[in-house]
Amino acid sequence: MSTRDLVLAALFAAIIVALGLVPPISLGFIPVPVTAQSLGVMLAGVILGAKRGGFAVFLVLILVAIGLPVLSGYRGGLATFLSTTGGYLVGWFFAAVVTGYCSEHFVDRSQSGIVQITGFFLAALIGGVVVDHMLGILWLPVVTNMTLAQAFLGDLLFVPGDVLKALIAALAGRAVMVGYPLLPQRA
Amino acid sequence: MKSLHVEGDTFLHRLPPGVKLAALAAVSLLLFLLHSPLLLAVAAITALVFYAMLRLGWHNSWQRMRMILLTIILICAFTLVINSPMDAAAVFFRLVALTLFAATITATTSTGDFIEIVTKAARPLEKTGLVRASDIGLAIGLVIRFVPEVLGRYQAIRDAHHARGLKPKALTLAVPLIILTLRNADEIAAAIDARGIRGQK
Amino acid sequence: MDIRFEQAEARFEGRTVLHPLTLSLCERRIGVIGLNGSGKTTFARMINGLVLPAAGRVTVNGFETSKDGDQVRALAGFIFQNPQNQIVLPILKEDIALGLSTRNLPKAEKEAAVSGILARFGIGHLTDRRVHELSGGELQLAALASVLVTKPDILIMDEPTNQLDLRNRALVERTIHNLDENIIVISHDLDLIAGFDRVLLFHEGRLAADGLPAETMTRYREIAA
Repeated sequence: MSTRDLVLAALFAAIIVALGLVPPISLGFIPVPVTAQSLGVMLAGVILGAKRGGFAVFLVLILVAIGLPVLSGYRGGLATFLSTTGGYLVGWFFAAVVTGYCSEHFVDRSQSGIVQITGFFLAALIGGVVVDHMLGILWLPVVTNMTLAQAFLGDLLFVPGDVLKALIAALAGRAVMVGYPLLPQRA
Repeated sequence: MKSLHVEGDTFLHRLPPGVKLAALAAVSLLLFLLHSPLLLAVAAITALVFYAMLRLGWHNSWQRMRMILLTIILICAFTLVINSPMDAAAVFFRLVALTLFAATITATTSTGDFIEIVTKAARPLEKTGLVRASDIGLAIGLVIRFVPEVLGRYQAIRDAHHARGLKPKALTLAVPLIILTLRNADEIAAAIDARGIRGQK
Repeated sequence: MDIRFEQAEARFEGRTVLHPLTLSLCERRIGVIGLNGSGKTTFARMINGLVLPAAGRVTVNGFETSKDGDQVRALAGFIFQNPQNQIVLPILKEDIALGLSTRNLPKAEKEAAVSGILARFGIGHLTDRRVHELSGGELQLAALASVLVTKPDILIMDEPTNQLDLRNRALVERTIHNLDENIIVISHDLDLIAGFDRVLLFHEGRLAADGLPAETMTRYREIAA
């Protein structure tokens, strides 16, 4: 991994951590403020691609494991991995990698803005919603007495919010690609 | 950024970190396999005894774990409604035990020790060519180093919104934050390479 | 110190940024000036191998930048414009020690080297401080310490006082003047290099003037007008 890629990943990890430390923000479409950390995970994939985005999220997970309270709500430590949301947490890594992989293959600079945004949106949906929620759902029956079906139903509550985040990640991804053209999409 | 590590000299502090993590893994596995509320209650009480050795006090402990405890109570309420009181009790004790054991390990292991373990664990992965073990310590240091800068930048962007009478929204906050932060990557990377820190080529 | 450019040329995205240049540098205090985009930064970065020549070669004390990168970087330290981007670990003394990490020194020796270099620049009291609490001037001195702890022969500085306020600028300037190492400084701050041994002026990718500070700066003012 080049030094530049290492630094990009580390800086993005710092962004994801910061998003967990600041108060919830408004998504703009709905009046309810939400924590932006999972948005940060999708952004990592969209903006840095699979390898660097995955490494950025990996670094955040290491910081959590080490005992730094970097998850929103001042949470951290090994307990968060074993808790009910542990699946979603570990799922962040796979979400970033999948979102990154899809972004690298769906989107390139020669496309129009709308096509790029759609590409990023699909990438963020597949990674940040499908993959992450799937892992979150699979973990729930392990720690609790829920069945997979119950876990799935409970999870549906959080899907609309994350779909909105995927849209924002797509819009932001395109804006960053335009505003910072020196950043190569692929590591 | 304050770590969740707690200074102290209990026997837990003195145990090698590898042993503690292995023990946590083994205990966790056991807890996942147990279903009896009685046995799980015993486990939870044991965990509480270990946790109490940290002498953190109620206020501190509540600060650290209130989010997780809230989630546990919600899940148990859900289980109570959907399944049975016995099920809810089992879930409650299992989650509390897991949380307290894990929190105790986290509190008795220093950041430096953790980084050492992660670096050691990453050595075998070097063969995949994805990452070098020594890079992980550097990367972690970089993240911790730059979080305060990113936070400062975030505040400045929020302030700029207010100055222009705009409501801060995720999209308009995230984009400048990302661009302004990532723009420094080239110079930071050049500084690292100029110092020969990664010892390559 | 013996730095040589032998028909060294630099290109970026197909464009020639620095036209073939031949010269040698051995003076103790060398200044480099020029308008933005004149090629002066590329020139400086070619000395320590951050930029490699597209044609020709650059050697430092006999080592070629394209072939002996490690040795060149051990001989020539580099200070960048933005103090924030040079210290990479959260606690000052850890970052300074990082430069020594690739050498197998006993812990006590490392600690002595770190305290020594911090004391030399008057920032010994900041050893355990968190880096984000330091001022721009303190950070730039810390960057100096981080680079000089490995005792390079040569120090290259790319507009080291550009982002500092007046007080911090004075502090860093004083420190620079007292350095024993060979220094090459790119600076818009003409006062900083007024007393130097030699000043190079770059313009549109070529060396436009080369000599004593007074002559070169006069030429610079002509070009800039």
